[in-house]
Amino acid sequence: MTATAPTTLMSGRYQRAFTIAVVVLVAGWHLAGAGGQLIEYRPAYGSFAFQVAMWLVMALAISAGSVLVLRGVPGWRGAWVVAVIALAASTAAAAASPAGRMLAVNWAWGSAGWTGVLVLFRRRFAELAWFLAVEALATLAVQVSDGLNRTDLAGFLALLAWSTGAQVAVAFAVRALDHAAGQAATAAASEDAARERVATAEIIRVARHARWLALQETAVPLVAELAAGTADPGDAQVRVRCAVQAARLRRLLAEGDEVPGSLVHELHASADVAERRGVAVEIETAGTLPPMPGPARRVITDAAIAILTAARTQTRITLAVVAAGIAVSFVADTGALVRLPAAAEGVVFEHQQDGGMLWAEARWTSR
Amino acid sequence: MDQQVTVAIIEDHPVVTEGVASWIRSDPGQRVRLVLTARDLTGLRAVPPADVVILDLELSGELVTAQIPELVAAGYRVVAFSGHTDPVIVMETLDNGAHAYVSKEEGSDHLVEAVLAAAADRPYVTRSQARAMLADQRPARPALSEQERQALLLWFQGMTKASVGRRMSISENTVRQYISRARAKYAATGRTAPSKDALLARAIEDGVIKPAEIMPYTSFARTAAGRPSEGAPGR
Repeated sequence: MTATAPTTLMSGRYQRAFTIAVVVLVAGWHLAGAGGQLIEYRPAYGSFAFQVAMWLVMALAISAGSVLVLRGVPGWRGAWVVAVIALAASTAAAAASPAGRMLAVNWAWGSAGWTGVLVLFRRRFAELAWFLAVEALATLAVQVSDGLNRTDLAGFLALLAWSTGAQVAVAFAVRALDHAAGQAATAAASEDAARERVATAEIIRVARHARWLALQETAVPLVAELAAGTADPGDAQVRVRCAVQAARLRRLLAEGDEVPGSLVHELHASADVAERRGVAVEIETAGTLPPMPGPARRVITDAAIAILTAARTQTRITLAVVAAGIAVSFVADTGALVRLPAAAEGVVFEHQQDGGMLWAEARWTSR
Repeated sequence: MDQQVTVAIIEDHPVVTEGVASWIRSDPGQRVRLVLTARDLTGLRAVPPADVVILDLELSGELVTAQIPELVAAGYRVVAFSGHTDPVIVMETLDNGAHAYVSKEEGSDHLVEAVLAAAADRPYVTRSQARAMLADQRPARPALSEQERQALLLWFQGMTKASVGRRMSISENTVRQYISRARAKYAATGRTAPSKDALLARAIEDGVIKPAEIMPYTSFARTAAGRPSEGAPGR
């Protein structure tokens, strides 16, 4: 079984309550309404035993229909078997009723209609409409064969309006309630989603903290050395170490926001330090970049930091969508070749040196 | 070139007009002569056409890309010069019949060269234009060869054409050829414009592209534009 969305579960619970209400209504009608009518007019029927038999058939159909709908929305086959049995029982009961008094003593029309509502109300509305129409026509046909006069017809129409109207109204009301329950459940689910976001934010915070701890191992010793005077800021080597650590710190700050295109964001953060050193950095994107996993982004920003640190006056960084991945390239006046990270996390590097200009490309493939 | 190329600048910021004029003046060969500056398009139709119009795409806060077909129909060659770098705007500008697109960052290096290329109906592809071509995902975009795409990508990335050639183990001239061919393929797609036909005719004449390489696209474009299909059916 596949996992069920919380929304479906929640609105399912309401729907079940509505289903039970309909089952109780239909069973109650058949027991009290139709059953009462049957007993009241007992002497009027030609064969009371036959009427009772039909009443029992109808009771069986209602039971079967109840089981079906309590299991979920019934399939057309199950629903229509129950509906046709109810239709047949009601027509037979009507046909066996005494001519002329048929409408007064007929308990079956109402019960059959309600049985139809029971099994069809969650299916397409047209199905219920067809069922109720056929049911009414069957009853009318019995009346016509008994000899229809004007009073009978008026009675038929009054009864049709009352019982069919009530049945259609109930079917509509339950569908409206289903819909409302669905909306309520969706609202509840969006609250769930909000809680989930909070949980995600917490996970991100923890991960960021872990990265910060990792930085402690490289940045803090450098600061300590500077403070102690063992590292000389006048030394070019030390200045490079400082620039790299500053870039890493900036990247760390940018890394947390889980926004689409966050690689661009991280590259901007990496570029910032170089820019403050007076290096002009351009970053351009061609195409809509697919999301890149964090570890691959780190390999690329490591390369970016190495190149930006070595750049003298300018660096152009571009990101382009290529077959199955992203090509991130750097063109910078580094003067000499820069040590690039080893291929990892689906990222491979290529480079070319033309005079003082370095071209390097990191190609990430999603496979 | 014996004869100077005449140019008009349509630009609503005087300081930019002045900057462009100074680039034209400082061209060592004095190959371009500025004949007109205007702050909008209204004055343009009254005077005899200059060879090329440098058109700022945003005049008084409004994009004028939709006016390009009219300018092209009047016989101007349009070089768009814009602060916009959005690939969608670049593509629309080219599709409407502009010869070239130069972003304001690229101006000092490329604008005069782009004007000269346009005057000769030759393709001139700036990096911003290459970017828009690489990012193009429209269903009717032309099919670029692997080599053309690679040359465009490396050019967009910021390499010089000489470096692109070394990277691809081809001559600088072949690099130009690949990039020009990609541009010519674009001239053969989308809406029809006399400027695009001129670019294409010149590209065929220069041997940049063979008629067979663009026939399918030409016929596709013509069919799409509601004209009867000519030549081979589109693929």
